[in-house]
Amino acid sequence: MTKYILKRLGQGLLTVFLTVSTVFVLVRLAPGDPAVAYAGPLATTEQLAKVREQFGLDLPLIQQYWIFLQQLFTGNLGTSYSFQAPAIQVVLERLPYTLTLATASILLTAVVAIPLGVWMSRRPDTKKEFGVNVLTIAGQSMPDFWTGIMLLTFFAVLIPIFPASGFATWSALVLPTVTIAILQIALISRMVRREMTTNFAAPYLTVARSRGVRNSLLTWRYAMGNSAIPVFTALGTRFAAMLNGVVVVEVVFAWPGVGSLIVRALETRDYPLIVATVLVTAVLAVGVQLLIDLAYPLLDPRIRLGKAATA
Amino acid sequence: MNALPVNEHVEQPLLEVRDFQVELITDAGIVRAVDAVSFSIHRGETVTIIGESGSGKSTTAMGLLGLLPEDLAVLSGSVRIDGVDVIADRKAIDKVRGRTLALIPQDPMTALSPVHSIGNQLSEAIRIAGAASKDPGAVRARAIRLLEQVHIPTPDAQLKKYPHQLSGGMLQRVLIAIALASEPQLLVADEPTSALDVTVQAGILDLLLELQEQRGIGILMITHDLGVARLISDRIHVMKDGAFVESGEVQQIVENPSTEYTRKLLAAVPVLGAWDETPAATTLTTTGASND
Repeated sequence: MTKYILKRLGQGLLTVFLTVSTVFVLVRLAPGDPAVAYAGPLATTEQLAKVREQFGLDLPLIQQYWIFLQQLFTGNLGTSYSFQAPAIQVVLERLPYTLTLATASILLTAVVAIPLGVWMSRRPDTKKEFGVNVLTIAGQSMPDFWTGIMLLTFFAVLIPIFPASGFATWSALVLPTVTIAILQIALISRMVRREMTTNFAAPYLTVARSRGVRNSLLTWRYAMGNSAIPVFTALGTRFAAMLNGVVVVEVVFAWPGVGSLIVRALETRDYPLIVATVLVTAVLAVGVQLLIDLAYPLLDPRIRLGKAATA
Repeated sequence: MNALPVNEHVEQPLLEVRDFQVELITDAGIVRAVDAVSFSIHRGETVTIIGESGSGKSTTAMGLLGLLPEDLAVLSGSVRIDGVDVIADRKAIDKVRGRTLALIPQDPMTALSPVHSIGNQLSEAIRIAGAASKDPGAVRARAIRLLEQVHIPTPDAQLKKYPHQLSGGMLQRVLIAIALASEPQLLVADEPTSALDVTVQAGILDLLLELQEQRGIGILMITHDLGVARLISDRIHVMKDGAFVESGEVQQIVENPSTEYTRKLLAAVPVLGAWDETPAATTLTTTGASND
């Protein structure tokens, strides 16, 4: 087990390193000049050259990368151009906001989507199920910037019960969370429904029913117990994706998280900040994925105890 | 719970099926899978329904256990389990399943939840049956005793195991133990040995016979295997296209089949003999020998 974890950590480090290196090169190849963004449109050629020299952007790409690698091993990713502070520190200050939003969203998703999916699987092809099904398709089809703006219009402007932006009070968490969760609930509930339907048709369920197991136990213990892995994986993967910054929603609600930070970093061509954001989110994504994989043995005895071939 | 003399049928039958009919709603229209079958089983009796794949034998079993999807299967006629008509009152089956009536399934490898342990699923059956006290110690003791009764070695150690860790034969014994948890009077065995190796099959059949002798359980055996039917049945019903084409005592059916279909089923039994024996006796026709 320890060997497995070490191997996975090694793979993870490699993934993060390659991601960060790729981004390091790509942002420099992309059009746009950080010096112009920093010094403003009215800056003279001399001023721009000075800024470039200050940021080390006048050096050849390979030399910049070499400096970056040396910095990387000391945990320093350079100074953010626009914040004039260590880039990694700027990102870490924003991280709790994104973590909060992602956690709230995934919890809301799980709490609503799992019972909803189970409910749908128990009433297949009824009118009510059809209605909910249509709603989930609608939920999947609404772009999150539009959902966000609609929620803002109704619940922050017309009926001002929630703040429109920022994160000054806990109530500000509600609208962005709901915006993210609507799409996720639509996706996850349909997946839960599919998994439950499959498991309800499995022989062991019929046999359990034949020995008088109650419907509620058949649903939650048997069908859910056997649907747990794919559902858990889906929730975990979506959580990891949210940690990479729920960019659109964070921008719509001016949420001070990593998502809105990366937008600003890109706009200002703040190379160190872009790389630092990518590094942090990549580490989180790899970490969460590892945790998900480590949780499988807890959910499935076939993985825990081996000899899975006969199952 | 001693076995009563077979001929003394004064008491009401454990299972009495009259004009039982199952219609399945399929994409191609309504299919009458079971067509007005009637039979009964008394305490200590084994009655076998034999037929080839698709003859409706398993559908009959699943139908009278109320295990066919309600929206796809229309049941009619009467099925009295220990006097209770479970067709007239569809809710009544809930009181019978896991108490008077138990199922031994076709494929033991898929009949237990893969993510719950043997002990977990066995204890659940014990609690549902309500026979033992709910105290975990008592439930566990009863679980061990049940595993001993089906001749599972080191029952203590097996409780912790998961289905994928046991062989098919062992799993079928576990499933029989689970079925016995409720002290059922009637077992429905739906091809209980068809997924098992030949050497294991005999062991499972021996076990069923032993339990029947000890407890006087009635058994409804569903099989395509005349060898199995011959070994354990009191009466045989030969099923084809949803209806019984021939019914009678084992001896009579085997020695003097009255329909061509039964003769074919008989011919499908492999006979052990020298290679140079006459082809008729050694034909290994397998028309009826696949699973449903």
